[in-house]
Formats: sequence, C-alpha cells, structure tokens
Amino acid sequence: MIEMLLIFLAPIIGGFVYGFERIVRARMQNRQGPPLLQPFYDMLKLIDKQAFIVNPYHSILGIMHFFTLWVVVAFIILGQNLLYVIFLHLLSTIFLILAGFSVKSIYSHIGSNRELLAMIAYEPILIMLAVAFFMINGSFDISAIRENPSSIFPLILLFLAFLMVIPIKLKKSPFDATEAHQEIVGGVEVEFSGVFFEFLYMAKWLEYFFVYSLLVLFAGNNLIFAIVLALFTFLVVNLVDNATARIKMNHLIKIVVTIGLTLGMLNLIGLAYV
Amino acid sequence: MFSLNKYRKKSPWILHYNAGSCNGCDIEILACLSPKYDLERFGVINTGNPKQSDIFLVTGPVTFRSRERLIELYTQMPEPKVVVAVGSCTCTGGVFRDMYNVEDGIDIYIPVDVYIPGCAASPELIIDGVVQALDILEKKTKEMEIPFKLFKEATTKKGITSRRESALKIGENDEKN
Repeated sequence: MIEMLLIFLAPIIGGFVYGFERIVRARMQNRQGPPLLQPFYDMLKLIDKQAFIVNPYHSILGIMHFFTLWVVVAFIILGQNLLYVIFLHLLSTIFLILAGFSVKSIYSHIGSNRELLAMIAYEPILIMLAVAFFMINGSFDISAIRENPSSIFPLILLFLAFLMVIPIKLKKSPFDATEAHQEIVGGVEVEFSGVFFEFLYMAKWLEYFFVYSLLVLFAGNNLIFAIVLALFTFLVVNLVDNATARIKMNHLIKIVVTIGLTLGMLNLIGLAYV
Repeated sequence: MFSLNKYRKKSPWILHYNAGSCNGCDIEILACLSPKYDLERFGVINTGNPKQSDIFLVTGPVTFRSRERLIELYTQMPEPKVVVAVGSCTCTGGVFRDMYNVEDGIDIYIPVDVYIPGCAASPELIIDGVVQALDILEKKTKEMEIPFKLFKEATTKKGITSRRESALKIGENDEKN
C-alpha cells in the first residue's frame, strides 16, 4: 500500500526536492530564492501555455521518456532487479535522444550528441555499481540490498565514482555540458513547448528521485544513515554546482571515464581478490 | 471553473533579446537577476529559449539587421505572452532616432505591452515594469496577436526619414505577393 502511494507521489516528491534545491542554491549565493512550491507553479503555468508540435514523434518520445522514467522509479520502490532498473533507465534516456534527433534544430542535435557521449561515460559506472552490489549481497534484487547492512566501506571507491555521475544526471556544474543553457539553449529540450515541455520538466524531478534512491542503496538497511548520506550528497552536489564552472564535453568524458572507470575497476578487483 | 490564470503570475520565464543595444540595459537586466535585486524570488528564470518563455524583454533600437530576428523570436513564443521594451532606445529610438540604420523602437514591428524608459533603465524600474507586465499577462487570452512587419519604403518629412507610418501588418504583405 505504502509502495503504491510512493510510486504515485514520486514526481511530486521529486518536485519538492527540486524546489528545495533551488532555495538552497539561492541561499548559497546570498539570495532569497523562489518559494518551495515554485516547480508546481511552473507546471501549472505550462499546462495553460499554447503548445507547438514540431512533429508528433518528437512530442510522443518526450512523453515516453517521462513514463519510462516513472516505471524505473516504480521498480526501485518495489525492490526489483537493479540491472533491470539501470537498463530501463538507459532506455528512457534513449527516448530523449531520439526525440532530440527527430527535429531539425541544430541545438537539439548537439544536445542529443552530448547526451549520447555522456551516457557512454556514466553508464559503465552504473553497471559496475550493480555488479559490486551483486558481489556483496549475492543478488541483483534491490529488496535484498535493502535488507543487508550498509556496504559503503567496501564500495567507497564506487561511491566516489557515483558522486561524479550525479552531476551528469541532474545537469549540474561542472558536468552540465549536455544541457548547457547558455551555449546550446538546453540541448534536447529546445524544441519542446507547453504541455510537452512539462513532461520533460517532470522527468527532471523523477531523475532526482532516481539518483537519490540509487544513492541510498549504499546505506543498506540503516535508515538514519540513508538520510544522512542523501543530505550530505545533496549539499556537496549543490556546493560543487555553485563553486565550479562548466567544462567542455571532451573534458567531461575524459574525467569521468578515466577517474570514474578506474575507481570502479579498482573497487571490483578489490572485492574479487581481497 | 478552475482557472490556471493566476499561476502565470507566479512563474514568468524571461526571454531577453538585444536588438542592437549598447549593452547598458542588458547589464541592468542581469543586475536584476543578481543577489541584490534577486528577481528569481518571484519565480523568474532567464530561459533564453523562446518556446518556453512568457515575457519578451527587448533592449536596443532595433537595428536594420536585427528586425527579422526580432519578429522571428516573437512569433516563436507561445501565447499568452507579453512584450516589455526596456530603455529609451527600445521605446522610441532614443538618441539613435531617425538614423539610417535604426528602426526607431520595437513597436513598429511587434505589439508592446509595457514601456520602461531610462538610459539605461534602472533595475528598480525594470522590476516595476516586469511586475506590471505580469498583471497584463494574467488577463491575456491564448489568441494570437498580429505582429507588424516593415516592407514599404520609408517616408521623408521635412528632410527627416521616418518609418513609423510605413509599418505593414503581416498579412498585408502576403496579399501583395
């Protein structure tokens, strides 16, 4: 029952996280910041706006991106297979990339290209994460991972690698070249408008839910540690977002692939032989 | 009936276009978003994407080269939308009025809702103008407003060239062709 409720409320919880994050970021910059309900005001406004449809596939792929992400989040809440979750999340990103390539806008194409390149960089880390959880818990099931004690110490290197994935997924500096609001006007989301942009906007909230629910898997069955870990990561990610500038796409790939992949491989080798 | 109009006021997303401005007004607009004035506390985001924005902030006295982009951006914005002319140049042409390469204000081409005077317009005035624009935005419908376009020859009165009277509506030109 509570799981069903969580699944239905997942976008709304993500929206609150996003609204809270905007306040935290504003306070870090010595500003007051928007109200907590600001994402929901944006959403209600976007319903009322006129929507331009570039082509039907573009709009439908945007909606499919949102619903696939929702299914991913539902699978995490229900405690399904972690590998399945990661590959389904990959599919949702693929829908977004296809949507970006289905229009003629050059910004959309650049955004899709960068999304693909970023995916190549961060996807191996997520898969290594699933493998490492399997090596420790003996199962890919998220429910089994949640029942076992916290595995952050054996997985500390993968945790550091995962900290590099979070800014890419949430489009935060220094790894936000995929969105790059000043240079490529938001990348793939450039041609979406009105109700259809709203699905992308809500998909962003679900992305928050997805990333932080993957993060609390490191805490295992320890609820208090899970909350502390999520809050700590939230603050670190926002601090880094405010303190750093955007880096180029090729630097993003180099940094994430070299450092992230090395940390992940070292952790896996350590788990297998030590 | 449950109305969504009041939420327009709470999340205005801004598109800022520089139609040949000297950058004075642009810097003042950026100052509005900075920690001292903090327009984001009203939910304002500087989007830079016409398809997702509500308020069109234009600076500069529409130079001859920038007029097509101005109309392009205006037509790409979904309804309801408001246009705010920031600075003296944008309202009337300012010090550039009746120059050979300047079109004397944006209201020749597109319907303007709020005029903000000043050279450069101060951040307080810009915030005041944006808040007034929000009141107008709340009352607007989703029907398309007709932008103006200039295709006629400029008229000369007493030796001064002015294109203000020669503005064409967008449909008028299509009938001619």
